[in-house]
Amino acid sequence: MRWVVIVLVLLFQGCAVKNVKPWEKGLLAKERMKPDNGNALFTRFSKHIYFSKEASKGGGGVAGGGCGCN
Amino acid sequence: MQLKIRHALVLSALLAVQAAAEDYVNVQFMGYDEESGETTVYTPAIEINKDFGADYTLNLTLTHDSVSGASPTWYDTFSGASAKLPEGVVYKNDITYGPVEYEDKRKAVGLTLTKRFASRDELTAGVNYSDEYDYTSKEFSLEYLHYLDASKNRSITAGASYQNNDVSVYCSLGNDVCDGVSGASAVVKDLEVVSSEVGFTQIVDKTSLVKTSLFYIHENGYLSNPYMRVVRYYDTEPKITEEQKPGSRTAYGVTLNYTKALREDLSSITDYRFYDDDWDITSHTLATELNYEVNPKLSVGAGVRYYTQTKAKFYSGSKAYFTDQKYASSDRRMADFDAWTYKANASYKVTSKIQLSGNVAYYDQPDRYNAIFYGVGVKYLF
Repeated sequence: MRWVVIVLVLLFQGCAVKNVKPWEKGLLAKERMKPDNGNALFTRFSKHIYFSKEASKGGGGVAGGGCGCN
Repeated sequence: MQLKIRHALVLSALLAVQAAAEDYVNVQFMGYDEESGETTVYTPAIEINKDFGADYTLNLTLTHDSVSGASPTWYDTFSGASAKLPEGVVYKNDITYGPVEYEDKRKAVGLTLTKRFASRDELTAGVNYSDEYDYTSKEFSLEYLHYLDASKNRSITAGASYQNNDVSVYCSLGNDVCDGVSGASAVVKDLEVVSSEVGFTQIVDKTSLVKTSLFYIHENGYLSNPYMRVVRYYDTEPKITEEQKPGSRTAYGVTLNYTKALREDLSSITDYRFYDDDWDITSHTLATELNYEVNPKLSVGAGVRYYTQTKAKFYSGSKAYFTDQKYASSDRRMADFDAWTYKANASYKVTSKIQLSGNVAYYDQPDRYNAIFYGVGVKYLF
């Protein structure tokens, strides 16, 4: 856990944060800046598979739905 | 001249907003197939996303899972590969760990409504409902996004959800929860899950952003799997019994994400998650992917994910380990293992409104099993 905190501090200290204007955010809004090239259904399906095959979960937002995990 | 510049700036801002908000219908046919043939899942799904003015967005998802195959557990080969607990004497050499067949169908619906306020802060309320042969789940969630600066480059989110699950334990399995007197065909057990998450997002520059979050999950109720078995030695002879997991579980974790446009046509997404719970399971997940725009119509991508976890304190995969321990499980998900996922995607814009997509992933738990999962579909913008 300690090294996670160290990475977090280094990450934010190392970030030369710039004041990006709204009209400069076109690139950030592209589909390819999202997981699975913006295919939210497949991303959700992948999470469900990991949830049903592995013992840990969480971290992708609070909503997700229930089991289907035999 | 000044007026022209102002018009150009306003137009640019509108285009940026338009790129983020869109109405669409996404139809996907997805599947999961284990190489050993143990489990096959077919999942058609549809997602509808609709903006109502600039202040409201509705997102609806409908999913139908059709599952067939087998889950590995202990069974008596003399009685046959079944999750039904064997009656009478069981001989040690007849006990084996192997696939036990099952079939299931699951219907799920998810709905979120996002409200944007004058400050452009967002409140998202969501409901999820799913139903299958032996499991019903209801979930409510709320999430609030607050911008910390005027340019909306920095934001925090806070969210919480409550999930109530009904697990049906069928008495034909012979599990202890059925008293054998009432004559009920099933006993319904309750499981509640409370999740909360706090996140922070910072746009670093016009090509990159970082996100981090802390999450907490508490589960309380029936966390055992009614089909999973363990082998216990109360005296000299073995006995196959139902698994017993603790009645609660508390977990927390941290996520980190760094998304970067390396060039105008090439983006990278890197995620890390740390997870820890009071069952002694600790996991690390590291994933990265690259997405490349070949031309204005065609995009392709590839990624890799590594996952590792420690075993639960009540897990053993041995058939000569458990005696009278209160908690015992041989569920392979509770073991210590590593997993790799290699994935690829492609999307093609047929017209300005129609986009085809294909995703495929190879999932491998070395020395255990591997699987392929995939999705093909079409997205219609309206």
